[in-house]
Amino acid sequence: MRKLLLGLALGLALAVPAAAQNEPAKKKASDAITLPTPAQIKQLTADPVEFKLVGEDDARQLVLTGVLDAGGLQDLTGNVQYEVGDAKVVRVTSAGRVMPLANGSTTITARYGDKSTTIKVAATSMDEVIPISFANHIVPIFTKLGCNSGGCHGKSGGQNGFALSLLGFVPELDYRALVKENRGRRILPSSPDNSLLLLKAAGIMAHAGGKRMELGSDEFKLIRRWIASGTPYSDGKDLEVKKITVHPEQRIISRNNRQQFSVHAHYSDGSIADVTQRAQYESNDPDISVVDATGLVRALDMSGEAAIMARYQGQVATFRATVPLGVKIPSYAFEEKTVVDRFTKKKWQELGIVPSNLSSDEVFVRRVYHDITGTLPTPKQVSAFLADKNPNKRDKLIDHLVETPEYSYYFANRWADVLRVRRGNQAVRAFGNFAFHNWIRESIANDKPYDQFAREILAAIGDESKAPPTVWFRDLRQPEQFVDDACQLFLGVRVACAQCHHHPYEKWSQDDYYGMAAFFGMIGRKAAPNLGLVIQNQNQARQIIFNKGTGNVINKRTGKPAIMRALDSDPVELSAGEDPRHRLVDWMVDAKNPFFARAVANRYWAHFFGKGLVDPVDDMRVTNPPSNPELLDALAQELIKSKFSLKHLVKVMVKSRTYQLSALPNEFNKADKKSFARYYPRRMTAEVLYDAVSQVTASPATFAGLPTDKYAPNRALMLPDEAFASYFLDVFGRPQRISACECERVSEANLAQVLHLLNSQEIQGKLTRAGGRAAQLAKDPRSDTDKVNELFVWAFGRRATQGQMDVALANIERNAKNRQLAYENIIWALINTKEFILVQ
Amino acid sequence: MLTFTGAKQAFCDGLNRRNFLKIGAFGAGLTLADMLRLQAQASNTPGRTAPSRPKSAIMIYLPGGPTHMDTYDLKPDAPAEFRGEFTPIQTNVTGVQISPLFPLQARMFDKFAVIRSIVTVNEHSDSLVMTGKSSRDNMTANHPSFGSVVSRVRSGQAHSAPAFVSLRGMSRGTEPGFLGIQHRPFATNGPGIQNLRQLTTVDESRLNDRRAMLQSFDSLNREVDANAAGLDTFTTRAFDMVASGGVRNALDLNREEQQSRTRYRGVEQFLTARRLIEAGVGCVTMSYGGWDTHGQNFQAMRRQLPNLDKGLSLLVGDLHQRGLLNDTVVVVWGEFGRTPRINRNAGRDHWPAVMSALVAGGGLRVGQAVGSSTSRGERPQDRPLTAPQVLATLYRAIGIDPAMTFNNGTGRPIHIVDDRNPITELL
Repeated sequence: MRKLLLGLALGLALAVPAAAQNEPAKKKASDAITLPTPAQIKQLTADPVEFKLVGEDDARQLVLTGVLDAGGLQDLTGNVQYEVGDAKVVRVTSAGRVMPLANGSTTITARYGDKSTTIKVAATSMDEVIPISFANHIVPIFTKLGCNSGGCHGKSGGQNGFALSLLGFVPELDYRALVKENRGRRILPSSPDNSLLLLKAAGIMAHAGGKRMELGSDEFKLIRRWIASGTPYSDGKDLEVKKITVHPEQRIISRNNRQQFSVHAHYSDGSIADVTQRAQYESNDPDISVVDATGLVRALDMSGEAAIMARYQGQVATFRATVPLGVKIPSYAFEEKTVVDRFTKKKWQELGIVPSNLSSDEVFVRRVYHDITGTLPTPKQVSAFLADKNPNKRDKLIDHLVETPEYSYYFANRWADVLRVRRGNQAVRAFGNFAFHNWIRESIANDKPYDQFAREILAAIGDESKAPPTVWFRDLRQPEQFVDDACQLFLGVRVACAQCHHHPYEKWSQDDYYGMAAFFGMIGRKAAPNLGLVIQNQNQARQIIFNKGTGNVINKRTGKPAIMRALDSDPVELSAGEDPRHRLVDWMVDAKNPFFARAVANRYWAHFFGKGLVDPVDDMRVTNPPSNPELLDALAQELIKSKFSLKHLVKVMVKSRTYQLSALPNEFNKADKKSFARYYPRRMTAEVLYDAVSQVTASPATFAGLPTDKYAPNRALMLPDEAFASYFLDVFGRPQRISACECERVSEANLAQVLHLLNSQEIQGKLTRAGGRAAQLAKDPRSDTDKVNELFVWAFGRRATQGQMDVALANIERNAKNRQLAYENIIWALINTKEFILVQ
Repeated sequence: MLTFTGAKQAFCDGLNRRNFLKIGAFGAGLTLADMLRLQAQASNTPGRTAPSRPKSAIMIYLPGGPTHMDTYDLKPDAPAEFRGEFTPIQTNVTGVQISPLFPLQARMFDKFAVIRSIVTVNEHSDSLVMTGKSSRDNMTANHPSFGSVVSRVRSGQAHSAPAFVSLRGMSRGTEPGFLGIQHRPFATNGPGIQNLRQLTTVDESRLNDRRAMLQSFDSLNREVDANAAGLDTFTTRAFDMVASGGVRNALDLNREEQQSRTRYRGVEQFLTARRLIEAGVGCVTMSYGGWDTHGQNFQAMRRQLPNLDKGLSLLVGDLHQRGLLNDTVVVVWGEFGRTPRINRNAGRDHWPAVMSALVAGGGLRVGQAVGSSTSRGERPQDRPLTAPQVLATLYRAIGIDPAMTFNNGTGRPIHIVDDRNPITELL
């Protein structure tokens, strides 16, 4: 988000000179494409075909489209010639913006060669002084120019003593700051041009934020007129923007091509205004498409999809640009195995790209063991799979793997990360953590319906010995914490911003936020002693969670008790004694809920495909749409139809042909980053890597604080919480579980990790352990070739190449006196390769 | 042989905080993306040499909260039950007086500045002064420490030394919080440092042997993973680091001249801190002494202040002499001041209403006292300041914009300091 803000700030800093700055880019983009000739166009269409402009500040953005003979659409807004019937009434810029000049009505004819279309326009109220609304006319200027951004006057406390509400979400405060504060020195109605506001913003007087607007620009004139008319707050109508819409909503545009779109604000009285010039824009993938301050989108050289966010007055909408590769592609066969394949294939066809080949059995078996169980297959498991002649052996293996204990441990680890199963430094929490972890693991092993899983956590009552999910209530205490975690975790939305101000990239307001918080306002806690233990402080007590039946949460904005209301829903009336958390869960798990099933489908997708359909996984919002919305909907439906069976969800994903594609790109999909036309390889996580190293070296883990008998957990993935000290796990990014965000687990490589695998006492100890793999193999009577091949299968799931075999055998030869040394070297080299640490 | 273990300090809340020169483990905070970026930069900038010397910080924490009344803010005119046993001495800066147990600093006070009007919270924790948020706030905020922010900011830059080293182990005030575990400090006895030493069982020829085999095994098709080249660079660099020693040498005081070691006898941590800064570390944090003097305050001062005086004057003097002081900002402080009125055990209790902090270097305007407390040292007289404001000033001194933001776990951009109006007198 920082990048986004920065981008906004930069974009805005250049707001006025932006046009000039972007000029070369524009030229380059239009140079790079060949527009269709008029003969290639079947028809020229305009949006809108008829409209009215009211008052001198009104304006309208036209969008002109050529319907191609060959199929497809071409934006021609900036390429047609505009002719106005009566040039006294309106004028049209070459970019298709229409502005009124005098009352009257006329027509605009747009011509592209021999094709043309005619638009009717009327201008009225040009001779009236239309009252100005501070909230609807002035505040959006501050937003567009960046005055109220988080880096400037919009930050809490403001900038140099002048504070505006963030992005103008609270106009009353802005009005007070401008007109009343500092004895009104910022505004001078008697001499508007000498108002500090204009002097600073136009750069006439020194302004740390620089020049934000041109003297005499539309914005300048509007603010000036507002000051001159006595700084009214209201225009007598007090309209509210109910939503904004973009036109068109989506287009397929060729590489380096462009598309103008327009933005309309829909007000509470039903009126609609064109706000294309006043909205703010941001592309979610600037490698694919960029947008300027006028809503003109330019596709770049890469194919893919981008969502262009438009924001105006707390409302957001997106324009989707699909940019196909646009080269001739070979035909290919792609068998649809699950619902996944239908929609991935559709996407590849839209984008004009070709999926990679099916992965080999050797690659697949290592991948699927890793992704479902968090372990690498043993040589025995690999050869059994390779030898199996059953054509359905992949499905068979998948069905088997989701029934293994390893599957439940792996996913329990992932869920425990985000459910805050952590000890901190409180030893007393160990008991509850073990219980909660075990509860999660059993839920996964038994395929507890996911709606029930969520309910048992969110609405838990009792103490951790009987209701382990109450452990979740250890870290979370305030209603706000529950809102943040519950929304991020179970709904895949990050609403925390809306605690203190309107969400900058969503429609969520503080009222929406506290509506959710109210569901958590009746949670009661009491402390009971752990039997036989004297309580020394509150943390050592046994915690009992119950429903108080009363209680509310204060809405920070209104200072009054919040109205209990789920996102986008009606207020909830409770009956006496009812636990509101159950009402919240009822809403969540309803088949029509737009968040719940999608959120978990997306989370699991990210696990198996390396990246969420919405990325990051817990940041679903209008302005961050899924890369394949139909696919996400279909997965959510699969889940709902299966009564929330997560195992079913896993199978739908993993049995798909898409999942089983090779990681090796072809010339058509090598730039693909989010349509899953190949398997995106990824690094093993800390625990998985640790266990893999232990397995390859035959040197199982021991962790202080656990039993040491043969039933004790001997894999890092089995650990219930984060409190088991391990430099290895920490350096490879094991999370501390201090948030509900998967992002806490860092998967990026760093130098300290490389050093640890290359040159640590820990790894050396595992390599040289008595009875470890190297020691076993040194004594093993089989041929060295067999043994080296077996090591390669342990590490890579495949046998050594001839060259690799020669190098390994030469090393054994050199260490003939102490073959264990040679095997240590070979294992060391294997676990330090990229092929080992990557799953492909 | 290095021994870093210092005395155990018992605090009044019954907890022991080990005051040891432990350095541990993390750090090589350079991430893959950074590495790739650096490579790209290097290839785009022909003839580019090593980057200019980065700015650094030394955060000296005085655990327990030292009394302002007997260190940097003496009140000779206050009644006896306030002023205590010490009569201040004049420093070489006109009008600034400090404890008579600080003669060495007094002689070079033109290189220091004291801030006498900081208001803090009543918490035995380095949280507020190192992260800008109280320990209580950090239960939920998980705000990163100063050093972790330095580590995060530096992660995109080409320094071979770890960005953040703690000579005092881990505490709330060294935690990376939401910046992520890779921005934890290196600890001197942790595996991170040990991994830089050649293993005794793997001599050079065996390591080379292994390396050659690794190259032959590492045959992953580069098209599969775009990051492959970056990972190879890490491997090369890791081998180089093992061979050269780097920061490990900085920690080995035996490499320091005998004369210098003699000068620092008893305050070796200050020498280690200096050597780490010379080796290019971005932020060193260390602690000195135990200052929770509910009883026998004056004895404790007589015992500890001369050594603190020696350590600080040597450190700042050496940094100056080596031309490093302008690029290294130093701060010395505890968690709060102590009660101006002496209690019946000749001690002073917690006093968050006002405390002092000492700063030096970093191009700050030194040779002055900023702010003042009331005549009995009870609260700020003018210019009440906060610990975050001091942090904001330190960030600016080392070239980090205090208004910088990083996203926390909920995706919210969080400023590295909230209360970031810097102390203009120092800039």
